[in-house]
Amino acid sequence: MMNRREIALQKLKGLGEMIIEDVAQNKVPRIKVPSRSTSNIIYDDKKRHYILGEKYGVRSMGNVKQIKKIAQMLYIANFCKDLVKRNKTATLRELYYVSEGWDVDFADQQESNIIGEDLEVTLGMTREDLGLLPEEDGAAVYGELTVREGDIEINALKAGKSGYTIPPTIDEVEFIDHDVERVIAVETMGMYHRLVQEKAYKKFDSLIVGLKGQAARATRRFLKRVNDELNLPIYICNDGDPWGFHIAMVIISGSAKLAHVNHELATPDARFLGVTASDIINYDLPTDPLKDIDILRLKELLRDPRYKDDFWKREIKKMLKIGKKAEQQSFSKYGLEYVVDTYLPEKLDEIET
Amino acid sequence: MERQAGELFEEFQELTASEFFRKNRQMLGFSGKIRSLTMVFHELITNSLDAAEEAGILPNIKINLKRVGKDHYILEHEDNGPGIPEDYIPKVFCTMFAGSKFRNIQSRGQQGLGCSGCVLLSQMTTGKPATITSAYKEDGELKGVKMSLKMDVKKNKGLVLEKEEINPDGTGVRVKLHFKEVSYSLSEQGAYEYIRRTMIGNPHAQITFTDPTGKKYVFKRASKVIPPLPKEILPHPRGVTADDLIFMAKHTDKRRFRSLLTSSLSRMSTKKVKELEKLTNIDFNKRPRDMTWEEAEEIVEAFKRMDFMAPPTKGLIPIGKDQIEKGMKEILNPEFIAATTRRPLTYRGGVPFIIEAAVAYGGKAGRLVGEQRKTEIMRFANRVPLTFDQGSCALTEGVKTLDWKRYGIRDLENAPLTIFINIVSTNVPYLSTGKQSIAPEPEILQEVRQATMQVARKLQKHIRAKKAAKEEAKRARVFETYIPIIMREAAILAEKEKPDYKPLLQKVTRKAKAELLGEPDDE
Repeated sequence: MMNRREIALQKLKGLGEMIIEDVAQNKVPRIKVPSRSTSNIIYDDKKRHYILGEKYGVRSMGNVKQIKKIAQMLYIANFCKDLVKRNKTATLRELYYVSEGWDVDFADQQESNIIGEDLEVTLGMTREDLGLLPEEDGAAVYGELTVREGDIEINALKAGKSGYTIPPTIDEVEFIDHDVERVIAVETMGMYHRLVQEKAYKKFDSLIVGLKGQAARATRRFLKRVNDELNLPIYICNDGDPWGFHIAMVIISGSAKLAHVNHELATPDARFLGVTASDIINYDLPTDPLKDIDILRLKELLRDPRYKDDFWKREIKKMLKIGKKAEQQSFSKYGLEYVVDTYLPEKLDEIET
Repeated sequence: MERQAGELFEEFQELTASEFFRKNRQMLGFSGKIRSLTMVFHELITNSLDAAEEAGILPNIKINLKRVGKDHYILEHEDNGPGIPEDYIPKVFCTMFAGSKFRNIQSRGQQGLGCSGCVLLSQMTTGKPATITSAYKEDGELKGVKMSLKMDVKKNKGLVLEKEEINPDGTGVRVKLHFKEVSYSLSEQGAYEYIRRTMIGNPHAQITFTDPTGKKYVFKRASKVIPPLPKEILPHPRGVTADDLIFMAKHTDKRRFRSLLTSSLSRMSTKKVKELEKLTNIDFNKRPRDMTWEEAEEIVEAFKRMDFMAPPTKGLIPIGKDQIEKGMKEILNPEFIAATTRRPLTYRGGVPFIIEAAVAYGGKAGRLVGEQRKTEIMRFANRVPLTFDQGSCALTEGVKTLDWKRYGIRDLENAPLTIFINIVSTNVPYLSTGKQSIAPEPEILQEVRQATMQVARKLQKHIRAKKAAKEEAKRARVFETYIPIIMREAAILAEKEKPDYKPLLQKVTRKAKAELLGEPDDE
């Protein structure tokens, strides 16, 4: 079986071959690029995440408006092929700067990003497979997990208080060993450090993951792999507001924008622990009133297919009803330890039985 | 102290035409420094053109304008016309209302004030005499005379100060006049622009102009066709007033109303007179000089209720489509030109007119303002440029009220575009005595629009074809740029040799061109 690297090289080469062959037969080459327009992004009930539909656009070499995009795509393809061959990676920003030396130009990084995505969906590969990495690092991981990056073994319990940082090249990381039963991911680094200080990793036999807001692609890939390969349940604990809900949901069901790679990023079995609207009531948490934009967002979520199960519908409606939101750190009202001593045990108990 | 009527009327005196215009020179168009000079050019050029054409000579005019002080100029104007016999020179240059233009005929000027008006202005502003040189044929013999003249304003007559015989090479008239309180300008209303426009309306003429800086402009003849002379046409019943009828009745040699009407009006048959008899209670066997005002009015009223054939149009001599195009090409050297001469129509029920329109685009078309060319509308009445009062003119209005965007001109003010409109008529309906703008008669307005649309449609086609050609070239360039790049990159990607892609390049270029030409015409 070919590894991901070999598949990527084969697919890139195939794109060039197709064009050469068409031209040799005096046919006008056409590249089919699956459409990423909203009408072609479909929520797949079975897979429980967004996928791309059947629609595609055609880039014809006989079309004045499309031909430049073909040239741009081929340039990026060669750039990626070189990266993969030499086992290197580059960020999208680096790609944009490298393109300055090419015979075709990009108006801005936005344009080169889009053509890069075109190449991803055309070949059915992720950007990481093509050697293109996101700018940002992934989340912080703390707990009894040993991984290997190249020649180096890293234990996430011995990587300092800030933990092991998930690299953009997470697919090249090998999981060697672990001694945990679950993963708890939290939205803020504040909460992460609270859990580390209170030794929550020990108390709950858990990995602690600090998401740093919206989860990066590498983080989502990490959680997916931990869930798939190590069979560990994933629990997410965020702020109790529409934005916290959605950070969780993107981990669970993927984003519409990355519909073409969601099968590698979404973790449909991950669970949202809190803070829920019910938690706000049950634990009598300090709150802020919902702002107009919060209310608008909550109503949007109600219409989103990803939120269609009863749990979400109930919690969103409840939050709209009480008109209040709460941050996850608001538990400190009852003392710094409360969240680890009381809240998490109660919630884990509830969700695991 | 009370004065009796007799005393008062001792001061009453007759005012001659010359005296009247001396006091009311703006009525001759001599108001404002720039305008006054342009009007002088207008009068002299018009006279020269008319004279040459009547004699069957291709006009050749030489003008030299010298500046001798602030607002002080000497103008020398010379033509190759038939010349003026010695005895007539003082009449032509020093008597108001002399001339042959009081007929129902298409003519450039219509007042008979032309040359004498210029002499009047010269004399009023400088006190200097006019110097006239005339060479003419008499009994087959070439004669020449040079004289200096002053105008006796009180008597409306010329005074010959000096006179000498000369030996000319050919016929023609040369006029030398001093002017003050005038000014030479390159503006749209200035003398230079007047000559330029005259050349467009009169491509058979040649004008050499030396401006006050000594720069010599030669406006070359674009056509050797002398326009045929317009013929006098009888007024149409719909075009006459009660006063006109009384005037005719007074000056006729006919003996009855009946014969007066049939001989003095066009389209007036005996059958029509019978029809008229039924509509009125007038005895048409009465003698013309017995016609009363009431009867004249009744006849005019009856005319309005009758059907007449349109007036004869053989008296109208348009410039003609080809001649307009020649004139504009010579002066503007445009990339595109279209002209039309429309069929004769009438306004006010009985006055015949023809509208001619043309557009010139690109090249030197449009008025150069700084670096940019701006649209110019050139108005003409019987070939004579109208340079003032553009805003109130029906010709301007007809042009400006078109939706030019429909014709590919996005911004009418700022396009390399010259729009030409000429109205040809025996009786051009001017708005005021300055004769610089046309009254908005509905028929004229409508016809100007129709004529302009006709040429604008052709312009639109040209602009579209030009755009398409540009687009085609752009497309071809796109393929030529990107296909080699794509082939190179594809070969590197596939790790293969580049195939021969020339046939493909040709194929896509051909296809793109076909697509372009197949684009639906939105006309």
